[in-house]
Amino acid sequence: MSRLNKAFVILGGIGIAFLFLPIFHIFLNLSFQSLLNTIKDPEVINAIFTSLKAAFFAVLLSFALGVPIGFLIAKTEFPFKKFLETCINLPIAIPHVAAGIALLSLFNSKTLVGRLFQFFHIGFVDTIYGVIIAMMFVSFSFVVSASIVGFSSVDEDLELVARSLGASPGYTFFKVTLPLAFPSIIRGCVLAFARSLSEVGALLIIAYYPKTAQILVYERFEEYGLNAARPITAVVIVASLFIFLTLLYLNYKFFQKRTDVKG
Amino acid sequence: MLKVKALKRLKDFFLDVEFEVKKGSYTVILGESGAGKSLTLKIISGFVKPDSGKIVLGNRDVSTLPPEKRGVVYLPQSLGLFPHMSVRDNLVFPLKLHKNELKKDLLEKVVEEFGLKGLLGRYPSQLSSGEKQRVALARAILANPKVLLFDEPLSSLDFHIKVKLMEFLKTFKNTYDLTILHVTHDPLEASYLAEEVIVLSKGKVVFKGKPENLLTSGEVVNSSEVVRAFKRLSDLVNKGSLSF
Repeated sequence: MSRLNKAFVILGGIGIAFLFLPIFHIFLNLSFQSLLNTIKDPEVINAIFTSLKAAFFAVLLSFALGVPIGFLIAKTEFPFKKFLETCINLPIAIPHVAAGIALLSLFNSKTLVGRLFQFFHIGFVDTIYGVIIAMMFVSFSFVVSASIVGFSSVDEDLELVARSLGASPGYTFFKVTLPLAFPSIIRGCVLAFARSLSEVGALLIIAYYPKTAQILVYERFEEYGLNAARPITAVVIVASLFIFLTLLYLNYKFFQKRTDVKG
Repeated sequence: MLKVKALKRLKDFFLDVEFEVKKGSYTVILGESGAGKSLTLKIISGFVKPDSGKIVLGNRDVSTLPPEKRGVVYLPQSLGLFPHMSVRDNLVFPLKLHKNELKKDLLEKVVEEFGLKGLLGRYPSQLSSGEKQRVALARAILANPKVLLFDEPLSSLDFHIKVKLMEFLKTFKNTYDLTILHVTHDPLEASYLAEEVIVLSKGKVVFKGKPENLLTSGEVVNSSEVVRAFKRLSDLVNKGSLSF
């Protein structure tokens, strides 16, 4: 191994330790009894369920609205395309408390948009809908970016051949383009799901209630301190990692492998 | 018969072509890279709209029809086999789209004739280059095209596979009585396959006719390295010094 490689191994090792040590450290000084009590706590269970439910719908909406944007950016030409692509990533750069304030400012019941949703009995302040839009706001760009990557990677020749074999643009999209872009889109959805589960800032502003897991962790820490927050933090970390890894595995098993068949 | 008349102005290129392709003929468009060969095929297929002109197939003006309704099948250099579908699904793809017009038993016949029986469950990435070519050709046949458009489908192949496939192309063209328009910059392909040759240079047709007539057309031969190579190869074949 060259000196350069050795140096990179050491630096990389420090980087990995920086990522994983805090997570492992949570599990130290953690009694089995406190962990058991946390798992049995209905408030914790409800909060985790609320997080999962809201993240699922946030990703579903991001998928429905983000995939068409990804397709248009990847496959068509229009004015200000690069500008739009940059704007899509803006929520990543905005402090999430500011994102929460922006959402609250637009979706509160006194604005036109807020009143329009009120007409359908949908309010956003301290409701599950508020949780969903806060999560969607911070994770939407993951789905769009992944869709752009996915659609861009589909060879145009495949679409041309499909058309010349007799397929309409819609048939070509659903049978050729979308299936080939799907593994990348699903990876984006998994990341968006994970990002949704980790959102706190925007939730604090627009939808503290119903309590999500991340808000409950924050609340326990604020009210009772570090030791009281450790068990629920450990449970939330395990639940999040389990779901994240399961989704990645399912994506690989059912979508990725189909397009990566090697001889 | 296919009649093509098309004008297309791009940023730094101007295409102005007019030619006819006889029904049942194997016509090769020969030209250097950047002569406008692929653009011509894409205009015929309907993927690129010309600034003016007309594409007539048989007695029907197809200029305004979308690609899927023109009755031409486009086969690019990459062959366009769908990587997420098995060979069987690739072959069935056009059949599903033409279910009212095509008989399903054609699939069995084509699979048999193209030697694809053992490959049906495989994916394109599991095929050799020769097998991929045969699957792509078989799929094209199953779409029941009036004209097949080949955009340099053999150019990335090793010599011995290329020769085998050219032989195969000749046979299958005669078996299915196809009209083929084959674009290439390879004089070997042209000399081996062409019944008619169209020489394209800088977006214009500079020759159209039988290959033997091209060889005596000194002006055209001298205009292009590709055509000169075509002449040298054809001379060798005619003298019996070269056989495949």
